[in-house]
Amino acid sequence: MAARRTRGMTGPDVSRSTVARAASIAEQLRYECSILLELYREKESFTADVLVDGRLVSVAPPSSQLATRDKLWRLHSALMQCRSLLERAIAREEEELGGGKKGDYETQRKMVKDRLSYLLICTGELLKTAGGAALLTPSLEGLELDGPTTLFELKLWVYRIFKEVDYWTKTAITTLEALPSVIAKERVMPSRVRTTRSTRR
Amino acid sequence: MPHLSVNPSSKPNCSTVWLISVLLGLLAVHTNANDVLTVPQQVSLSTNMDSQQLSISWLAGAATTFDLMILRTELNESVFYETVSVMVSQLSGRHEWNWTSVEPLQCTSLSIKIRSREGQSTSEWSNTEILQGSDLPSEEKCQMFPPDRVVPVGANTTFCCIVKEGKQFGTINYGNTVMNTTRLSRRSYATTVVNQGLSGSSGTNLVCYNSFKEIEIGAVVFVGYPPLPSDFLCETHDLTSAVCLWNERRNTNLYKTRGSRYMLNNRTFTLSWSRNPKKEYRVDHWEVNWTLVVVNPLGQYSLTDSAELSHRVTPVAPENLTSVAHATNATVLWQWKYDGYSSLALVCQVELTSQGYKTNHTFSGVGLRAVVLPDLYPYEDYSVQVRCGAQQNFWKWGSWSETMSFKTSSIVPEAPDMWVWMNKDYTGQVIWKPLTGRQSRGLMTGYEVTLWSPGESLQHTEILPPDTFAVPVNLTQMATASSDNMVMATVTAKNTEGVSLPASVLIPLRLTDADPRAVSQAVYTDSGFSLFWQSDVNTTCSYVIEWHNASCKWNCPVDWIKVAPGNTNVSIESANFQPGVRYNFSLYSSSSEAPELLQRWQGYMQELVPSSPVLSLLTTQEDSDILLTWGQIPLVSRRGFLLGYNIYISSGSQLTLLANLSDPGSRSYTVNGLSEGSYKFTVKAYTSAGEDTGATASIMLEPFTDWLILEILASLGVTALFLVIVTFLCYKKRKWVKKAFYPDIPEPKLPGDWSRSQAPLDVKPPHHSLVHMVERPEWDSSKEALVVIPEEDEDEDGQGIGDELVDTDEPTSLRYYNQVVDERPIRPRYPDSSDSSASSLDSARTDVTYTGIQTSGSSFVFQLDPQGSSEGHQPQADPSFCAGGGGGYRPQMQSRVPSDDTGPASPNPFPEPQAASGYKPQSSWQMDSPVDDGEGRSRASSLGSPTSIASTQFLLPDGEDHTEEKRQPSSSAATWLTNLLSSTKP
Repeated sequence: MAARRTRGMTGPDVSRSTVARAASIAEQLRYECSILLELYREKESFTADVLVDGRLVSVAPPSSQLATRDKLWRLHSALMQCRSLLERAIAREEEELGGGKKGDYETQRKMVKDRLSYLLICTGELLKTAGGAALLTPSLEGLELDGPTTLFELKLWVYRIFKEVDYWTKTAITTLEALPSVIAKERVMPSRVRTTRSTRR
Repeated sequence: MPHLSVNPSSKPNCSTVWLISVLLGLLAVHTNANDVLTVPQQVSLSTNMDSQQLSISWLAGAATTFDLMILRTELNESVFYETVSVMVSQLSGRHEWNWTSVEPLQCTSLSIKIRSREGQSTSEWSNTEILQGSDLPSEEKCQMFPPDRVVPVGANTTFCCIVKEGKQFGTINYGNTVMNTTRLSRRSYATTVVNQGLSGSSGTNLVCYNSFKEIEIGAVVFVGYPPLPSDFLCETHDLTSAVCLWNERRNTNLYKTRGSRYMLNNRTFTLSWSRNPKKEYRVDHWEVNWTLVVVNPLGQYSLTDSAELSHRVTPVAPENLTSVAHATNATVLWQWKYDGYSSLALVCQVELTSQGYKTNHTFSGVGLRAVVLPDLYPYEDYSVQVRCGAQQNFWKWGSWSETMSFKTSSIVPEAPDMWVWMNKDYTGQVIWKPLTGRQSRGLMTGYEVTLWSPGESLQHTEILPPDTFAVPVNLTQMATASSDNMVMATVTAKNTEGVSLPASVLIPLRLTDADPRAVSQAVYTDSGFSLFWQSDVNTTCSYVIEWHNASCKWNCPVDWIKVAPGNTNVSIESANFQPGVRYNFSLYSSSSEAPELLQRWQGYMQELVPSSPVLSLLTTQEDSDILLTWGQIPLVSRRGFLLGYNIYISSGSQLTLLANLSDPGSRSYTVNGLSEGSYKFTVKAYTSAGEDTGATASIMLEPFTDWLILEILASLGVTALFLVIVTFLCYKKRKWVKKAFYPDIPEPKLPGDWSRSQAPLDVKPPHHSLVHMVERPEWDSSKEALVVIPEEDEDEDGQGIGDELVDTDEPTSLRYYNQVVDERPIRPRYPDSSDSSASSLDSARTDVTYTGIQTSGSSFVFQLDPQGSSEGHQPQADPSFCAGGGGGYRPQMQSRVPSDDTGPASPNPFPEPQAASGYKPQSSWQMDSPVDDGEGRSRASSLGSPTSIASTQFLLPDGEDHTEEKRQPSSSAATWLTNLLSSTKP
């Protein structure tokens, strides 16, 4: 019993709280992303219906057949690409379009980047908890980190990256909200096994 | 010149020849013309896309004038078609001409062709050269030109959008503005932005939308200014290198790759963006001449500077400041960053800050690195910072050093500023001002207050904590125990370093209540209360001016200042002064003796209207007037010097001014001439600030009936008093009255037979005589009958009759009788009587005769006329009368009744004292009676017979009962008087 109690305190309970924290961060990030997009559209006189086609982040296609660990890995990988793209976008933007007085947009942009990093830490912990630590670190190969050459295309590219962060933040919320039930099921199953074993004994 | 030649002499064969000649001539003319106007050959194009310039060159021999035509290839629209003059370039041997397009050259393909012109003659067009645009079908993607552009503020720029193959053009937006567009080709559309304003830091977007409102493509335009630097100069801090400084006079609005680039003496550099317009750049070695060039995409600007190094020394800030502080001075030391300063002549400024105040001290020296700051306050916190400049060829001050703080050491405190407040007795308080931080000169530990009588060596000392600034004193015991007239109060302050010098004030023990000086008014100005006084040139004493709230009388919180000798005026200002409060100011001489009060003032910082109205306003009706009275406003409520009072009468809500009393001591006012009714009066005191709210009193003015009642009561009172006095006099003179009106009747003498048919009447002389009036029914009142004749009294003193009897009821009878009695001779002593006296006497006489139907008692009336009395009595002391023998009495019957009427004015109604032989009884009266017929008549006539006024009995044979019966109806007053006289009879 003591062994079970100890496991319960350190294993699934930790994961559950980490999931909750990650979901909370993702919610906050989604809100901050929406503000960032609004500020950017206002700054660049973009209308809300600016279409950006195609994804910048490339991960395995979603599937209900994926295990929790794989779902977490997919999410974590996408968020990592998002952060890389965001960092590059910020750098390019500062390099070619920056200068002058910093305003709300720049503040919000930094806030989103920091929040995304925090979310990545949480998803990394979850991934580790789910046993994914042994897997390879998500690859960033194939990302269009250089971006376009003309300034207007650079602005569109930055906007696409913000939209990408927004998309994957929403995906993270969905994924993380679905995790507790999955974890609960997975907790029950080993317990049943142990119970069965005990009964057998 | 081609020309035609014709030969007319030729034969028919010659006609063929002529035709050939004409044709040849025409051919020759045509051939000559083609030789002059050369068709431009080898047309070539080159472009500068940024400047949108197209360079065209061609070969055309010596021709100098050409027609140039530029068409948009796809729509075959003419963009340019003009005749231009183009010379052959010496360098290339070709004709060259430049054309700048409004639209970017990539927007669409352009066709260019040229022909030579000479006058009206032109050559053939050259081959058409086409400048390929980016809207070729082979380039399917969407494009926009120019893609990015930096333009100055106010510029006009044309952009074109080439939509993607297969898409339809929608709009072009500049920022949020939808622009007007021009179609250049099937896929290319152009728009021109005019007079552009500053863009944002990331530029302004020009976005091309397709017909589905999807973004096809866009471009970014940056609008800013060319650089504009100023105030360029170079200086040195370390005596070796150079630091060049300049200002950016305006923000170019261009950043990063589009921002300014700098070149200083051919050294290129960039600076990170900063809001600070002051820019600087450091160069390792000094150069005498400096040139700065600033460049950005919109232009460039250059500045120069030239100076020797020694003329541009700006020292760095001193470092590592330290101090050595004493009580009143401190040494400040610092270090220099560069060794070269040790030989540099420097001038340094030391800024000393203490309690928020800054002072600057300047020092100089070669390699200066330490200074001494004098005149510091002990136990004071200071902060100091230093900056320096080159003493020779001073250029400018260097930067301030870091601030360094130090504190001077402490010493004994200053003597406190003390004063004494004495009440009207031997109590008071010794007070002193708290020592400021600078005066305490250390950490305060307390105060010591000593009272001592120098002659008697009496001393009382009290140790007080440092937060105490007043101590109450009671000198009663010292005053009784000491023979000195003075007590010295001494205060010393103590801090951790020791005890201060003592501060003393002599307190006189012989207190006086008298204020030696009149009180003047002190005027408050912007600088405070201005006080002036006369100064004795011989005195060298200083002064103390003390002030306090005038409404305070006991242990007042007093304030004071000390004034140096020789001053005759001072302005008193205090943060404690409040408007509407009266302050007393007292000027004392301050010498080795006790302070002497020299002058007093009173004043207000600001006069206000009184805060409360007059007290106890009363209205009183006085006759038809109304008297208003009121009390004084308390001093605290006056809030200004009272200038007077305004009296108002209110009618409804309206106040009407009745009077203005300019005397502030007025306490009453009488309102005259008001009719009956209700009135309301308001009294308002006023100061220079205005009136107070006023006190109001009402009164109902009533008709003055009370006074009428009072007058009646007063008259009655006077009358009663008069009667009392008369009564009193009568009482006092009762003997005289008795003798005058009620003499003793002498024993009758019977000379003959006194028998009658009736029984002899036993007549006994009564003690007093009363007149008995007998009323007989048969008596005819209409007859002129006499009733009573005053009977002379046999006065032992010989006094005549003084008082007359008055009967106001029977004047007619009296007058009638008077005619009888006036037959008597007139005594010579009476005629000099005045009319009044005569009248009085006449009245008296009349009185005596009235007794028709009244009792004798009721007929007595005192004549109050003293003159008449005196004249009637004293002078009448006739010796013969007095010597008339004991039988002085003389019956009235002896008076002869005259037949004639002598008039009523007979002055002497009294019987003359004659030498009567004796009493003649009333019976004899019958004989003289005008009517004497029988017994009944005699009885009736006896009523009117002459009778002594003192007689109480009629000598009648009968009717005695009647007489007695007739006496009954006499009035109570007569009875009272009779009783009075009887009781007083000796």
